[in-house]
Amino acid sequence: MSAELSADIVVIGAGIVGALAAQRLARQGASVLILEAGPRLERARVVAAFRNSPFKGNWMAPYPPSPWAPHPIYVPQDNGYLKQAGPYPYPAEYIRAVGGTTWHWAAQAWRLVPNDVRIKSLYGVGVDWPLSYEELDPWYQEAEELLGVAGADNTGSPRQHPFPMAPVAEPWSMRRVRERLAPAYPVVANTVARNSRGYDGRPACVGNNSCQPICPVNAQYLGINAVEAAEAAGAKVIPNAVVYRIEHDVKGHIAAVHYYAPDKSEHRVTGTTFILAANGVESPKLLLLSASDTYPNGLANRSGMVGRHLMDHPSTSLTFYADEELWLGRGPQSPSSINTLRDGAFRSQHAPYRLDFTNISQVLNVTNDLIKEGVYGAEFEKQLRWRAARQINVKNVLEVLPNPDNRITLSAEKDAMGIPKPEAHYAIDDYTRRAAEVSKADFARIAELMGGTGLRYSADGQFANNQHITGTMSMGNDPATSVVDAFGRTHDHENLFVCSTGVMPTAATMNSTLTGVALALRTAEHILPAKNSHAATAHVGHETSLA
Amino acid sequence: MNASTCCLLLLGLLATASVHAADSTDAALLQRGQYLATAGDCVACHTAPAGKPFAGGLTVPTPIGNIIATNITPSATAGIGHYTEQQFSDALRKGIRADGKRLYPAMPYTAYAQITDDDVHALYAYFMHDVAPVDSKPAPTRLPFPFNIRLSMAAWNLLFLDSKPFAPDPGKSADWNRGAYLVRGLAHCSTCHTPRNLLMAEQSSRELAGGAVGTWLAPNITSDANSSIGGWSEEDLVDYLKLGHARGKAQAAGPMAEAVEHSLQHLEPADLQAIATYLKTVPARHDPADIQAVDSWGAAFDGVAEQRGTPFPDDAEKWSGAQLYDAHCASCHQARGEGSFDGGLPPLFHNTATGRARADNLVLVILEGIHWTDASGVHMPAFANDLSDQQIATLANYLTRHYGNPAATVDAARVGVLRAGGAPSHLVALARLALAVIALLIVLVIVLRVRRRRRRASAGRA
Repeated sequence: MSAELSADIVVIGAGIVGALAAQRLARQGASVLILEAGPRLERARVVAAFRNSPFKGNWMAPYPPSPWAPHPIYVPQDNGYLKQAGPYPYPAEYIRAVGGTTWHWAAQAWRLVPNDVRIKSLYGVGVDWPLSYEELDPWYQEAEELLGVAGADNTGSPRQHPFPMAPVAEPWSMRRVRERLAPAYPVVANTVARNSRGYDGRPACVGNNSCQPICPVNAQYLGINAVEAAEAAGAKVIPNAVVYRIEHDVKGHIAAVHYYAPDKSEHRVTGTTFILAANGVESPKLLLLSASDTYPNGLANRSGMVGRHLMDHPSTSLTFYADEELWLGRGPQSPSSINTLRDGAFRSQHAPYRLDFTNISQVLNVTNDLIKEGVYGAEFEKQLRWRAARQINVKNVLEVLPNPDNRITLSAEKDAMGIPKPEAHYAIDDYTRRAAEVSKADFARIAELMGGTGLRYSADGQFANNQHITGTMSMGNDPATSVVDAFGRTHDHENLFVCSTGVMPTAATMNSTLTGVALALRTAEHILPAKNSHAATAHVGHETSLA
Repeated sequence: MNASTCCLLLLGLLATASVHAADSTDAALLQRGQYLATAGDCVACHTAPAGKPFAGGLTVPTPIGNIIATNITPSATAGIGHYTEQQFSDALRKGIRADGKRLYPAMPYTAYAQITDDDVHALYAYFMHDVAPVDSKPAPTRLPFPFNIRLSMAAWNLLFLDSKPFAPDPGKSADWNRGAYLVRGLAHCSTCHTPRNLLMAEQSSRELAGGAVGTWLAPNITSDANSSIGGWSEEDLVDYLKLGHARGKAQAAGPMAEAVEHSLQHLEPADLQAIATYLKTVPARHDPADIQAVDSWGAAFDGVAEQRGTPFPDDAEKWSGAQLYDAHCASCHQARGEGSFDGGLPPLFHNTATGRARADNLVLVILEGIHWTDASGVHMPAFANDLSDQQIATLANYLTRHYGNPAATVDAARVGVLRAGGAPSHLVALARLALAVIALLIVLVIVLRVRRRRRRASAGRA
């Protein structure tokens, strides 16, 4: 065993959530150590790997898993890392690397709508959050200013202060969709961590349309930007440090974490406060792995709720040809959506949803379709041009309710380091399925308004997954039914906090990253209050004083 | 109403009217002063990054050491609030502070000497009344010996300061004269663009033939067709000064981007036109190395396609120019270097960035990018943290070979020097050496004389 490392704050996981908590704590003068299981990546290599890859549609292709810190891969075949216990598959994708999964996200940086945190009280379903939307608001603002969020005001999420940036320029395709769906459906710019102008030293989006797998110009905020911010604030990152055990003392305080280097040498890191930020799958896995005689069910698991209430956003969709040329593929991949169905009295009956339009270039999909159909030669070229110009897709983003049976457990199977793999137990209930059925009418109406032909609905009962892992370490006031308190502190261990989308008690209808970051900043403030006032209300000044 | 009341009312009205007239004159004067201060780009040096306007504190590196810009707000304790208009004028046009001490010519008083009395008056009014006083004093400038002796500048001024204000040339148009006044005076173009002699004075015989500002090459902006802007239309020049780029020709980077952002883009269209008119008549200075126009080199070229299917070397130091271009540049400048259809992302060929005989500015823009402090922000990202010296050398050579002047090559060592802020200046050592030599000579002369006198004396006795 090598010399022990130690820090005031030890963060497990160098993704966007953990790194932004780390940067805030480091800025307050704490010594911060971030342990990351995966390797350090460079944007240029990812860009080069993407451009050089023949599998442009496979967004995991530029992110091969490392042998010591594997992550799930499904193309060309399942690498068997995330075991599936059923009954419904949960094919989550995530990246174990410095910077985490937001290396390849669409930068959707949504707030909840206020009623999302009170669905038990208002609609009799799910659970209420232990905090209000109003309490979250300043933390959202701080998160938005760190990430550089551009957005429109009319998405159902109220705010006290303006967005850091105006929305990103609307692509032609989305303009036409907006114009043609009005007034039946208001189509608005998505709330995104993507620059509509130069911000914080990063350039504006130039529309490469490769947000996933990689923004090649750093216009989209990635976890690696958060890591760099943490490092600039004084935090230290150790890559390739696979944490396999969290160690507690006789009083139940966390004393240390243990990690393997790729050569399987063992290392122990001590600290005062520990933050678990290794996403909604790997974090509960680690808590369960750390079972001891005192805590036979794993750490922070007196309630038995660690790993339970696994949620995400299933989607069904409709693909069709519009009656005009839209030419998807110019600008960002996911620029616009319909947000009027995120809340309503119907939530007592079925899930709410957002309706999201893709703006991903259709050339690859259409080419594959045509080859499958056996179309060649001049007709191929003609069809390719016609279809690629007109094909469009709309999907729903459905809420899933917390269900203790949907869960992450430890598999009997082990990875190359001898660590048990995570296993997903998942089902999609009728509350969500009813919403999918209801949304078909929206799909049909949208197609009608766009003069749609060649309508192709996703197969009945088939849901695509959106990789918004939530719920597995839910926050709540009652230690009997939740894992962490309203500030992310585990009920069972005073110096162990969780910063993750996994602490969200419900999934709502929006991508979970911004809420995860806002909650993590709030946790950081709780651990070590900012010296000068409330940082979330002190606006970060990016303007120059030069007149 | 009787007549006297009527008179009183009328008088009152007249009095009010005259007060208003004075107010509007003052307002016009202050506004003109502000405009002139913008044209003079005072803010560029006299404001620290994120500091209060005109409060000083910016460190200006020069070959003789760091000069720290002073507070020129009207603070009586820390700024120039106690200056009379004459003292203000002397500082501006003669390089003499209120306390009689000399300014260093980092303050472009040799150019400002051209400013008319009227404009000095307007500037004085603006600085005294419209600039917010800031009562904090930046650290003083401490140059190494012998340059810490400010009186030495008096001798320098005797040699190099032409203290006559601008005199219009009656043989030229009003437009030309306005342009000449701005270029030679307030806009102080020559401060960077005119080469300097060993004593750091501008070589007036080679006006605007190209100089240096820090590590950046301030290019030749005479009317030469190959080395300079002789091939540009006046519209190109106005575009460049207004927007920071002239489509299909050049983009402002480094200190020029700052000059455009803080000063030139805010000038009246007529003034920009006047500057263009004048620049087109500045006597051509040709560099024989420029065998064709610096903005005419290169063509679209796709070096990226042939990389497909070839694994990139694990060691990124060994990546080829095309591989580096693919990973770092092609997302904006496109695979063939042609930029975007609307020119918003510029082509790399037919571009002074790649067409100069020296690649220094190309290397510098890769290192630093182009960042404006206004809302437009990052015009080009900086790559100093992403690319090593070797990678930048490989990339720059790829760019000049395919898109620019292939004679312009650079190696990793040169990139390292530029990254470090340039080669160390030998001026201080030279000056000290010169002083030591002079002192030695004086001692020698004295010794010789004394000896000779002794010899004569002893000869006389003999």
